[in-house]
Amino acid sequence: MFNKLLKSKSGPLTAELVQSPGMFGLGKVPTRLAPASTTTSICGYCATGCQLKLHLDQNGQAINLSPQANYPVNLGMACPKGWQALDPLDASDRGTTPLLRDPATGQRRPIDWTNAIQTFVSTFKSVQANHGRDSAAFLSTGQIPLEEMAFLGLLWKSGMGFLHGDANTRQCMATAVTAYKQSFGFDAPPYTYADFEQSDVIVLTGANLAIAHPILWQRIMRNERIPKIIVIDPRATETAQAATQHIQLKPKGDLALYYALAHCIIRDKRTDPESLANTEGIEDFAEFVKDFSPQFVAGQTGLSEETIENLARTVSEPGKRVSWWWTMGINQSYEGVRTAQAIINLCLITGNIGKPGTGPNSVTGQCNAMGSRLFSNTTSLVGGHDFTNQEHRAKVASGLSIPMENIPQDSSLAFDEILRAAEEGKIKALWIVATNPFHSWINSGRLAALRENLDFLVVQDMYHTTESAEVADLYLPAAGWGEKSGCFINSERRIATIKPVRKAPGQALTDFRIFRLLASAWGCGSMFDKWTDPEAAFLQLRNLTKNRPCDITGIESYDHLDHAGGIQWPFPEDITSDEKNAIPDAAERRLFEDGNYHTPNGKARILFEKPAIMPEPPCDLFPFLLLTGRGTSSQWHTQTRTAKSEILKKLYPDQAYVEIHPRDARNLQIENNQKLTIRSRRGEMSATAYIAPTVQRGQLFLPMHYPEVNRLTHPSFDTYSRQPNYKACAVDILIGR
Amino acid sequence: MVTTLQPSPEKEAKSSPNPGLRTLIDDLLDEQSTLQTPVARFAEDHDREPDLAGHYRNLIPLTKPGEGEQYAFEVALDRCTGCKACVSACHNLNGLDDDEAWRDTGTLIGGDDAPAWQQTVTTACHHCESPECMHGCPVGAYEKDEETGIVRHLDDQCIGCSYCILKCSYDVPKFSKSRGIVRKCDMCQQRLAEGEAPACVQACPTEAIRIIKVPSNIPGIPERRRKANPTNLFQPERHNPQSGIPHDSVTFPTTRYVGRETPQTAFAADRDKLIPEHAHWPLVLMLVLTQAGIGLLGSSVFAPDSFTQTILGTLLFNAGMVAAVFHLGQPLKAWRFFLGLRTSWLSREILAFSLFAPIPIILCALPLLPDFPYKEFFTLITRISVLPLGFAAVFTSIMIYADTHRSLWSVRRSAPRFFGTVISLLLLGLSIHSPMLRPFAALAIAAKTLPEFIVMRRSQIQGDWSALRHSGRLLLGPLLRITLWRFGLAALSMLLVLFSPWLALPVLIASEILERQLFFQSVHAPKMPGNFGVSSPH
Repeated sequence: MFNKLLKSKSGPLTAELVQSPGMFGLGKVPTRLAPASTTTSICGYCATGCQLKLHLDQNGQAINLSPQANYPVNLGMACPKGWQALDPLDASDRGTTPLLRDPATGQRRPIDWTNAIQTFVSTFKSVQANHGRDSAAFLSTGQIPLEEMAFLGLLWKSGMGFLHGDANTRQCMATAVTAYKQSFGFDAPPYTYADFEQSDVIVLTGANLAIAHPILWQRIMRNERIPKIIVIDPRATETAQAATQHIQLKPKGDLALYYALAHCIIRDKRTDPESLANTEGIEDFAEFVKDFSPQFVAGQTGLSEETIENLARTVSEPGKRVSWWWTMGINQSYEGVRTAQAIINLCLITGNIGKPGTGPNSVTGQCNAMGSRLFSNTTSLVGGHDFTNQEHRAKVASGLSIPMENIPQDSSLAFDEILRAAEEGKIKALWIVATNPFHSWINSGRLAALRENLDFLVVQDMYHTTESAEVADLYLPAAGWGEKSGCFINSERRIATIKPVRKAPGQALTDFRIFRLLASAWGCGSMFDKWTDPEAAFLQLRNLTKNRPCDITGIESYDHLDHAGGIQWPFPEDITSDEKNAIPDAAERRLFEDGNYHTPNGKARILFEKPAIMPEPPCDLFPFLLLTGRGTSSQWHTQTRTAKSEILKKLYPDQAYVEIHPRDARNLQIENNQKLTIRSRRGEMSATAYIAPTVQRGQLFLPMHYPEVNRLTHPSFDTYSRQPNYKACAVDILIGR
Repeated sequence: MVTTLQPSPEKEAKSSPNPGLRTLIDDLLDEQSTLQTPVARFAEDHDREPDLAGHYRNLIPLTKPGEGEQYAFEVALDRCTGCKACVSACHNLNGLDDDEAWRDTGTLIGGDDAPAWQQTVTTACHHCESPECMHGCPVGAYEKDEETGIVRHLDDQCIGCSYCILKCSYDVPKFSKSRGIVRKCDMCQQRLAEGEAPACVQACPTEAIRIIKVPSNIPGIPERRRKANPTNLFQPERHNPQSGIPHDSVTFPTTRYVGRETPQTAFAADRDKLIPEHAHWPLVLMLVLTQAGIGLLGSSVFAPDSFTQTILGTLLFNAGMVAAVFHLGQPLKAWRFFLGLRTSWLSREILAFSLFAPIPIILCALPLLPDFPYKEFFTLITRISVLPLGFAAVFTSIMIYADTHRSLWSVRRSAPRFFGTVISLLLLGLSIHSPMLRPFAALAIAAKTLPEFIVMRRSQIQGDWSALRHSGRLLLGPLLRITLWRFGLAALSMLLVLFSPWLALPVLIASEILERQLFFQSVHAPKMPGNFGVSSPH
């Protein structure tokens, strides 16, 4: 009794932390957060596609989450963004009602949905009537389910009769798309994540997996073959530091390096004849790379002949499984397509494709970038088709009951071309859906000027506070991840579902429902009669894929996807029943095991081109080369969502910082934490000095998450993919802010 | 912004009513507010072994610690890639507040030499062999579990004095404002007890965190461990004070960092970030006012007709005592302060001040009381006791801070400041009646600023990082305005005391309050390496 009085070992404060069995295979959970039921959803950030288990209360509202065990992608793990995926839903700046800018005061004020939809429709109709179908465009995203992407693309082009629309996926994987399309005849990343675990040599180039895709790094760590992990990157990234070898080449020395590797491999006759038989263009390629001796490229790559020769031997070792993985370091380049194809070529000539632990593998950025590649109806016709192909148009028209003439034959402008057209006054109205180009687009200062030239800007987003939403004429409040259903496709082509586990705030609606409203108000509602809900839409889209390389006609329903632990495309209806039964176990499948590609003659094309000159090399006035990239695993792109989580905010620097080499810092008398101004020909920003030899001398690194960074970047683009070259421009440093 | 195309919404709505659309909107809004999530199927609805049990089975010990052993975290630095999932998992699986996590991460930077060396360091409570949090707690709200060695915090016992926060060299206990108590990592002991892994262990994608059993008997162990574990992050053999990594020789943290050797040049990424610490205003006022009160009371002892000083000294002292209460998150539970007397200087301070507290009251009361036997003798005894007991009480205050092992708060740096306040006020009080003492009062005020000057001077000399240099840079950097006011007011009070000690008194007290604010704000609090550029104070 007396002891109890002296020591309170229990009580209300202690009770707050008491745990009890969570059921549902969860182990112990805080008693007050014990779920009444659970469901699963794919994480809404990156293209790894981790499955999360949502802990629901009696009303079906999510109260907590943890990563889903036994899901073939993440195996019970997640990065902090996934763990905190519910946090951004509770932010105070969620849009709860449409907002319209009052032309008189310049202020945005709340309006109801009826007004909002009618304003949208009458404005775009009047733009179309006065200026034609080329006078408006949408810019969308890789962050919404594929059903919504398809709805948007079809509504815009076939329903409303506009032509131009593109997505922020242009910033992310357009290069990989184009490279695969040209080389394989279809945009087909050939791998499965199990390849990480089955490689003998893993080459990561322009990819900081440990930070950008932590769960994929986990897969590498599970590789029991004691793989050689080679990181090719100008910066000593976290991944490079954890690798067995870091090849710290000069920025944009990669294309020359890969040609030199091909040079050595062909010279030493270490090619794989069996694989070469399935390709075309090897003779020309062999001739072309004759010039690219290691000695010849030493200057461009900054690497010794010995390093290059050794690397060439490592990646062509007979009997060894070599896989190549790239992300934005390759994609976001003025010659990204040819660089990606140089990697594809290396795999083709060494036979490292279509076998376990091999492949030229593009790791995608956004959670549904892969969904947008097949279904967004922007670059390619919905369902993996081609706008220019008469048969394809007919198939889509009949499949979706759309009049054939409502499907355009010509292609849309790309993202940068849409913005240029807007600058030139050719595009009068813009509709931005779930993306934030006023922060993320290259040379973002240009966007502000462009805004002045637009007659009407609509932004549809979860938050009314994004840089883009702030300047919109009409803002439409959208429900976000966690408040909607639909499907994502991850980097390894795995299709899986997301679920609504929270009510959207106020009058916010899912993008799907907003599109339904717009279709109805525009007068093309009947075209989308069958689009009652995302699953109904999915089944129609599924049917469209018949006989395409991405055929998924074997998928029965969302339920089927959930039971199977996600399904990788292709999954045709006529897939053997053995295969079908085996799916949950043999859940990892790769492409091109038969050596047949999707080109007309079934052969992969070996494509190449002389390396180009860097668009904006350092000079006397701007002596530093600026690299950009992911900062931490707890930040996502423009931080629209990650900045809403108090936990994530603890895990990353709240202000921009710039990595600078210690010798450069010493020469300029810069101290750690000192405020600096970084200046390019286009703009300037301030950042704190982070002195570390992670960058080479003469180079700086800025994380892309801070809106100021894209004031500096140089607007140059890959010729074939129109993807912006974010990662190399000339800058100068001034001390002080 | 050109908005010529934009129709007026109201007009539009009125001119073309669209009932069909309006119905659809209502339908869709209704749909949106209904959740029809397909919920867990299969055998999901009954209890079974945790799905991750197979994953973490070899990451926790099979058996409980034996005699002379305890649980400890082991972190494989070479496996950690800095994804920080451990922090999130700790937050989610323990159901903590929005910004609360008991695990934190930071970075070590290897220095200027290539190849670049960086290391994420994940830290929770080290469940030390000799937990200073526990030793400092005045009410026994910490326990080191005899069986597991886990250092547990008893949330309902805590009075929210935050002394454990000052005592911990690793910045582990965190104050919860809404609850008025401290909370911290308990190694998920509820999970461990059932054979489940702690949240962070479960969640690490690369299996970099595990629970191990380590020997746990303080005498003799440190030496043995130092030799056995050369990669110890805390660098016990060749601790580099410039690294910003705390030394382990006080508490003997049990966490083992293995797998990658830390270069001698490595330093904490947040080492150079100049963020002032908390001011702890109730403590600032408590210290200055009690010390000023004791000084004035002391001066009144020597002057027979100094009743005003006695009253004023008593008021100041008691105001300080009241201020102290505001530092406690749960003041009603503070009566248990005696539980910590064996180890806690805070307990001793509370005792010392409680013993001293009646003296000023008695001094005030005595002249007003009718005569009673031995009244004069009693008065004399009370007067004589003021300064010795007062200095003893102030000594316990000094020891509270000295016992935190923070450089700025060592006895040799804080004793001149704390005793100096008493002496300045004592001399000021005396000089009210003895004008020839006024220059000495001014001198005392001047002399008292010396320790602060020495610290500031440190930061001006080029050299390696040190905790004191950090303090100096704070004083002349983010805290410069306060520093200037502190010295400006001190100079003014020196001048005033020569003419009118009464006028000097408020100025001196104000100056001392700022001095004490700087005492708290400019200290370098040892902590585990933090992240670069995170500007919120820890």
